[in-house]
Amino acid sequence: MGLKLKALLKSPWVFHLSTGSCNNCDIEVLDCLTPRFDIERFGMLLKGSIRHADVLLVTGSCNRMSAERLKTLYEQVPKPCLVVAIGECSLSRGMFIHSYNCPVPLDHIIPVDVYIPGCPPKPEAVIAGVVKLIEKVGGKKGD
Amino acid sequence: MTDRAAVIRDITERFSEDIQRLDDVSHKRVYIDIETGSLVKMALYLFEQVGARFNIASGVDCRSHIEILYHFTVEDINLMVSLRVRLDREKPVVDSLTPYMKAADWIEREMNELLGIEFTGHPDMRRLLLADFWPKGVYPLRADYEEWDDSAVRDRGV
Repeated sequence: MGLKLKALLKSPWVFHLSTGSCNNCDIEVLDCLTPRFDIERFGMLLKGSIRHADVLLVTGSCNRMSAERLKTLYEQVPKPCLVVAIGECSLSRGMFIHSYNCPVPLDHIIPVDVYIPGCPPKPEAVIAGVVKLIEKVGGKKGD
Repeated sequence: MTDRAAVIRDITERFSEDIQRLDDVSHKRVYIDIETGSLVKMALYLFEQVGARFNIASGVDCRSHIEILYHFTVEDINLMVSLRVRLDREKPVVDSLTPYMKAADWIEREMNELLGIEFTGHPDMRRLLLADFWPKGVYPLRADYEEWDDSAVRDRGV
């Protein structure tokens, strides 16, 4: 594990991107940041700009228009970065799988590190997913 | 005009030749099937004389024809009047309402690109929703729409 990645895991700053979701997953992500769940105690901070972020949280099924924007955003994240797909729509497009405007799932567009299923996933599931992400990346320490 | 019965009576008397059928389905909903050519004058009458608000329009591909429902809300009497026009499926053309009411602008552009309905007299018929590389002449909300994108993945991979 590089120094950059180690520093990243101490306090991963997240950027939240909705690529055409119904906003339910977005509400759950915001729920994680409220005092009840308080994801900030793990050092996670929601950032307004992609250039300040280490983790990209993606919700919603990618449509033809937002896929282009998603690629542009992914190019702007400082590397190394981690991508978390939240919700059934970004995992497999959910009920929009046969939609004319959603040709491919998220992991066909950019590499995804963690998948958090659910429609919408509970805040507990989001926290569990992020903890697994930190374990997965941090576990490489012994290698 | 604040009386529901008076509004409906007035419409039927004024446009007796233009109305094909009138369905009075509930106390707040009336459907009026009209001739395609008389859409503008009836819509303008509802908009200017009755004081109705142009709510939204909905386009439907019914396989035998394409129909558009123009929904007008008369808020004083809590009544929604829907004007229904039936269009030829091979060449769906109807007069645009945008020169008269600005609210019809985007929904007409949307119906143009998703259903392929042509609105004569629309001042600004640019693409609104679909991606720029979407092929011309492919209308995704038509009943006979077929997949054109070979790179699309339609299984969940499990």
